[in-house]
Amino acid sequence: MFKHKTRISRTLVAPLILLAPAIGFAQADTSDWACESCPFDKGYRAEVNAGATYVGEDGAIRFGNATGYDEKGGYANVDGQGRYVSDGYRLDWMIEDLGLSSRVFEMDGGRQGTFGFHVGYRELPYRRFDTTRTVFNPSTSDTITLPGSWVPAGITSDMSQLSSSLRPQTIESDRQVIDAGADWKPAKAFRLYADFRRQNRDGIDITGGSSYTQSSLLPRWFDYQTDLIDAGIQYGTDRASLTLAYYGSYFTNQNASLTWDTPFTSGPGAGQYRMAMAPDNDFQQVSLSGAYRWTQWDTVAAFTLASGSGEQNEALLPYTINPGAGAGPLPRSSLDGAVDTANYALTVTSRPLPKGRIKFAYRFDERDNKTLQSDWNRVVTDFFVSGDIEQNVPYSFERSTISLSGELVVWKDIRISAGGERKEVKRDFQEVAEQTIDSGWGQARWRPLAWLDLRVKGGATERDINRYDESVAVSLGQNPLMRKYNLAYRYRSYGEFIASITPVESPVSFSTTVLFADDRYNKSLLGMTDSEELRATADFSWAVSENSSVYLMVGYENIDALQLGSEQFDVWDWSAKHDDTFSHIGAGFNWHQAEGKYNIRFDYNRSDGETTVDYLSVSGGPSRLPDLTSTMDSARVEVAYRWSDRIDATLDLRYESFEVEDYALVSPSTIPAVLTLGAQPYDYKVWALGLGFRYSFGGGDITLAD
Amino acid sequence: MTATPQRHRRGAFLLLTMAVLAIAAPAVVLAQSGDDKAEPPSYSKNGADTCFKCHDDQKVLAVFRTKHAVPTDENSPFGHGQLQCEACHGPGGDHAGRVRRGQERPPMVRFGSDSGTPVAEQNAYCMNCHLTNVGFAWHGSEHDNNTVACADCHDSHVERDPVLSTATQAEVCFDCHQQQRTQSMKPYAHPVRHGKMDCSSCHNTHGNTTDRLLARATTNDTCYDCHAENRGPYLWEHAPVAEDCGNCHDPHGSNYPGMLSMRAPTLCQSCHSQSGHPSLPQDERGLPSGTPSQFLLGQACLNCHDQVHGSNHPSGSKLMR
Repeated sequence: MFKHKTRISRTLVAPLILLAPAIGFAQADTSDWACESCPFDKGYRAEVNAGATYVGEDGAIRFGNATGYDEKGGYANVDGQGRYVSDGYRLDWMIEDLGLSSRVFEMDGGRQGTFGFHVGYRELPYRRFDTTRTVFNPSTSDTITLPGSWVPAGITSDMSQLSSSLRPQTIESDRQVIDAGADWKPAKAFRLYADFRRQNRDGIDITGGSSYTQSSLLPRWFDYQTDLIDAGIQYGTDRASLTLAYYGSYFTNQNASLTWDTPFTSGPGAGQYRMAMAPDNDFQQVSLSGAYRWTQWDTVAAFTLASGSGEQNEALLPYTINPGAGAGPLPRSSLDGAVDTANYALTVTSRPLPKGRIKFAYRFDERDNKTLQSDWNRVVTDFFVSGDIEQNVPYSFERSTISLSGELVVWKDIRISAGGERKEVKRDFQEVAEQTIDSGWGQARWRPLAWLDLRVKGGATERDINRYDESVAVSLGQNPLMRKYNLAYRYRSYGEFIASITPVESPVSFSTTVLFADDRYNKSLLGMTDSEELRATADFSWAVSENSSVYLMVGYENIDALQLGSEQFDVWDWSAKHDDTFSHIGAGFNWHQAEGKYNIRFDYNRSDGETTVDYLSVSGGPSRLPDLTSTMDSARVEVAYRWSDRIDATLDLRYESFEVEDYALVSPSTIPAVLTLGAQPYDYKVWALGLGFRYSFGGGDITLAD
Repeated sequence: MTATPQRHRRGAFLLLTMAVLAIAAPAVVLAQSGDDKAEPPSYSKNGADTCFKCHDDQKVLAVFRTKHAVPTDENSPFGHGQLQCEACHGPGGDHAGRVRRGQERPPMVRFGSDSGTPVAEQNAYCMNCHLTNVGFAWHGSEHDNNTVACADCHDSHVERDPVLSTATQAEVCFDCHQQQRTQSMKPYAHPVRHGKMDCSSCHNTHGNTTDRLLARATTNDTCYDCHAENRGPYLWEHAPVAEDCGNCHDPHGSNYPGMLSMRAPTLCQSCHSQSGHPSLPQDERGLPSGTPSQFLLGQACLNCHDQVHGSNHPSGSKLMR
């Protein structure tokens, strides 16, 4: 009886199996997909890390660059992040380095698919020198004065009050960024967005304040504000997208000028000098961009049309602060500067063959400086009228680029691609009015195995010019044989090799890149004549076990360049050969105790930079400047101990040493005609020890819903 | 011999079977021949609830802490009526179904360059939803042309995707852009290695119609987002500045202060050759051990010509005021 039922069952099942594909062809019916086990996010969770860090060494202000740890001593610190989710509404927050001058706060939220918002605050410290000293009085205004006891002198070594007047002056600044934005989807295909960002940057920077033959490096106070607005409307479907956007940038400078007392002896009425600071300016741009997709050959065309306008109309300073210089009236009271920009782009990519793709791109960028030209009767460094009438030059340019590239899979694992590009540049008022840059490149990529990826690329670029207008050069006082580095004829060739080995079942991975480039300025008799570049990197990582991994990364870069000059204002009679080298090595490991409480991470980085400049000149013979070197060692150990499900204790130990040799950094009285700030090359060793506790609110492991 | 009742029933079943085959088979053939393709795999029976029977570890479930699993967003994979896990990992009917002994379980779509699923197929699943805001620009971009998978940079199964955070984004980019990582370690560089600035501050990594995936129309426009004090226009402009900041600066990092590609005076002398001090070789004779030269030491040319980005002073044509 059982056998009969089996035979009958088989007889029935067979056709049903044949029928099964017909049923499977139907669209997925997800109406019964209740997702009963889905642990959707809800409620509140956060983790806060509170602790303290002690920096154990002084005189290492550069350690505080971007980090905020710029002095010896203790720092309280708080980091954290959290989230609240309820009924589709979400609020995320994050704080970082709250106790430091590199603090970050970010909050974003909204209802996904409907609207969103974000607010943020970020600080970024820039710490340059703490070894600098100045004779000038402290100033946070647009005027820098000397102490009342100062006695001017002709050269720095004769400044009798120099030593007694020097006071420490840190060169540092801080950037604060506030941003806020929102977006809204009123309908499925539409999105409106608006972002506002305000950046304030203030502090002390170094400015060279010159007279006719002398100069003082000034600790200049600056206070900048930049407001950025990005807003737009987006429309998007599966076939097309369109965005109409506005971009506005508004810069204001609290100080329109800088006035300073000169520490050098000077002519009558010329005890103070004044220079103009960066003027307030703004730039606005409207753009329309979009794309359309055709199913034919999987073709996508994307375009951008942008039109912008920049203005600057700051009131001009007089020709000079020196009433005795004999300067006349200005041709106008403000610049009324205006620059129009245009940026157009079109790209079309298509796949005419199953294994082949082509891309066409066209791009046009224009800067049209519409500022009016006037005749100016320059006063030479607040001393005397030059007597030469000079016209301001409103530089404009146009750049248009057209390119075509293609890719073909010629065999199962070999992909060949190649392309060509022509860029044309047109300029006003410069030695080269028209420049053409033709490029060609080819690449082969081979993946013989799933875990082995090899790539070879090579190409050449020829930057040719219609004519180097020596009359323009001569009008600027240039040696007619000079070919400016960005305008000269140049032939560049390069090759690159990339390999990646990432076996899927293996714990080891390795990758390497090598790039070589050669630039020839074949037609330059003066200026840059050739340059070679070599870059190489290698990365290695090894997952030693389920609980530990190690990594090693190496990078190397070398740039050689040769330039020719002429002190006789004739053919070349001196040369300078540059050799720039930089190398970096990083290594580390990560270990966490299996089912345990400890997690340890160690990272080490070392970087070495060196620049040599070898001169050869008719007047001085062979000579070599002292090497410019930099060496940085940094190490960091982080240990985390899981006290409980909610509490972790963390220990963070950092070490950094940084040493620079720079012949240009000299004492205030070294250069007879320049009063410097006496900055000393960086040389510090710093350690920092941090202890903290991390507490988690809510959260925990995610478990399936009952 | 006459037919027994059992024989009649057997015959009826055979007739019924043949009738079913006669009716159904053409439907199968038609369905197949309509596309001339192999039969597409089927979806699972219960969506994510099916997947959880095997896949319930923390890495998988972490997707529920992300924007991909928001049930109130109708466009989210876990929105009402959507395909849940199978929206990204493809139909799972065969994968979740019964597998014969000795046969390998049919795979699902997996993500990452080493996943086995072709990059184009992976990315196509992402573009099902992200076409409008990402996909159009991605098509034919540098990353697309180099077969970078979305999952090479993005992780959808973690609460906070590292590439979306300023503090951790660069580490993701440096996996491939090793030369830029090396440059970021140079003594003078943007604060990328400190986690205080990210690559997307300057680059639109999903693709753009701009050169080198810049975030704004040109190099200068990108730089002016943070360095607007150099935008001008100035009364006295410095031509290479107005055209391209990259003429003098190396934004990824440099051995020289100010991220200059070469230091003064030689940087300046690669363009300037006026008679007098601009064309003199500033060699070891100008060192403190010789005759200390203001053209070599301190800020070199910038000791006097500090207004190198341009001057708005009526007497500033030499960029000294």
